[in-house]
Amino acid sequence: MPVIRIDDLTKRYGDVAANDHVTFDVEAGEIFGYLGPNGAGKTTTIRLLLGLIKPTSGTAEVLGADIRDRRALTEVKSDVGYLPDTLGFEERLTGRRVLDHFARMRGDERREELLELFRPPLDKPIETYSSGNRRMLGIVQAFMHDPQLVIMDEPTSGLDPLKQDRLHLFLEKERDAGKTIFLSSHVLSEVQRVCDRVGIIRDGELVALEEIETLLGRSGKRVWVHLAEPVDEERFRTDEMIDLEVTDATVQFTYTGEAKTLLEYLVGFDVVDVEIGEPQLDDIFKHYYGDDATVDEESAVTGKDAVSTGEDRVRTGGG
Amino acid sequence: MTAILRNESGKLIRSSLLLTGLFGLISVFLFAAFPGFADQAEVVEEAFPPVLAGLFGFEELHTIEGFVGGYLFPLLWILFGGMYFAYVAAGLIVGDVRTRKMDLTLSNPVSRESVVLQKVAALWVPLVVLNAGLILFVLAGVTVLGESIDPIALGMTHLLSVPYLLVCAGIGLVLSVVLDREETAQATALGLVFVLWLIDGLSHLDPALEWIRDLTPSRYFDPTAILVHEEYALADAGILLVTFLALVAVATVIFVRRDI
Repeated sequence: MPVIRIDDLTKRYGDVAANDHVTFDVEAGEIFGYLGPNGAGKTTTIRLLLGLIKPTSGTAEVLGADIRDRRALTEVKSDVGYLPDTLGFEERLTGRRVLDHFARMRGDERREELLELFRPPLDKPIETYSSGNRRMLGIVQAFMHDPQLVIMDEPTSGLDPLKQDRLHLFLEKERDAGKTIFLSSHVLSEVQRVCDRVGIIRDGELVALEEIETLLGRSGKRVWVHLAEPVDEERFRTDEMIDLEVTDATVQFTYTGEAKTLLEYLVGFDVVDVEIGEPQLDDIFKHYYGDDATVDEESAVTGKDAVSTGEDRVRTGGG
Repeated sequence: MTAILRNESGKLIRSSLLLTGLFGLISVFLFAAFPGFADQAEVVEEAFPPVLAGLFGFEELHTIEGFVGGYLFPLLWILFGGMYFAYVAAGLIVGDVRTRKMDLTLSNPVSRESVVLQKVAALWVPLVVLNAGLILFVLAGVTVLGESIDPIALGMTHLLSVPYLLVCAGIGLVLSVVLDREETAQATALGLVFVLWLIDGLSHLDPALEWIRDLTPSRYFDPTAILVHEEYALADAGILLVTFLALVAVATVIFVRRDI
């Protein structure tokens, strides 16, 4: 039985569909990445799963509980951990007292072990916390009652790279211990690093369900190149570049090929400086999944078929 | 599951103590004015425009009972106390929704009904602190002035005032689940309780307005009647209690159904 089963889930706000007939499953013992640009509808899905908002149509099951059945959903929450994107803690309380408060509602058998990995300043009031400390306290409260399923909304936002790595390693260990992790992110590389399977959402619609191997081939980097002399756009362009912009001697583009190939290519130019960073997710999605791509329902349920659906889109939608 | 009750109770201690201290301060001023007041009670009663006399329900102002019931209680308890309870209750839900605290709260195995009820139950803190504080202030004030007051009547005044304060809290609570800004809910609750108190007072002026008076909660709590005449209006207190329970029920039903 899937840990999360999302079935034709739709949430409308007036004319806007924040979630539009979203359908997919999350299996036990996997790290499932829910990838999409900001505002795509990731948080809406998560808040629907937790029963904070009600679906316009369709439904979902969390650990076997229908999200429309409030009583059943409340009951399974003792086995669910949740890390929201915005952490609304009691600002005047210390971290320790906040954890005490949550412990009274659902237990804290793993608290000490987690506090060795993630160390927010427990004796300071939360209003003095940095965003990284807030996030760490959030991670501790999400896992401290040893839940079967943990739902995390942008878990690494605010964490420094070292802590991000620590979290990713921790998530992998949890997965290996049989836990299920559902995490949303707008950072492609994060999902590529840590997830087993990925659902991609754009404008409220699920556009693809991918095994991570497929997604690994679909990476991209935002590249800025500063050259010694102005360059001709046509001479510089390769097939792997999208959204190429040339301004005098500065070139910006999203590169969808391999890093090695790009570096070898750039050596042929008189390069003054190079910056390579995370891509704009939306550019990458447009490239791989086209502008109006959606997963048809059958393939979304099985997941495996969706991979081939995704491959088709590369051919049809690739720019 | 009383974790929320415990947490919310802790949060209310500070403001309860603060308001109690403020009540103490005002009590000192009011009692200090009593000797002069008692001497000139007749003049005062005549000099006050009937509008103001009606607002406070002056009666037997020259006696300590009349003074406490007709002056101190209406001002401190019915007006300020009522407004405080409405204000606090108006922040109970909407504030947490707004700051996303409610997301974390509801990620626990706790129902929305339980969240509302535990938050309302936390109002025991201001109820106990304010009542105890004011009883002490009144007894101290009366003793210092060399007067005496029937402790049973005083106790009954406080007991029968609890349903009134709870109705004010119920009004705030409903606003807290309906409106989506904490400041708006609190300001509306404050304003509404004040206007209801005003309507109750002003409706004395004209018998034609009597019906509208029945819609105000302060109409069902009369400290002067209790202290001066020892009339305990238990039925009126019952009406207030039922109203409070109905308001809590309405708030719960709305909160359970809405998106947060």
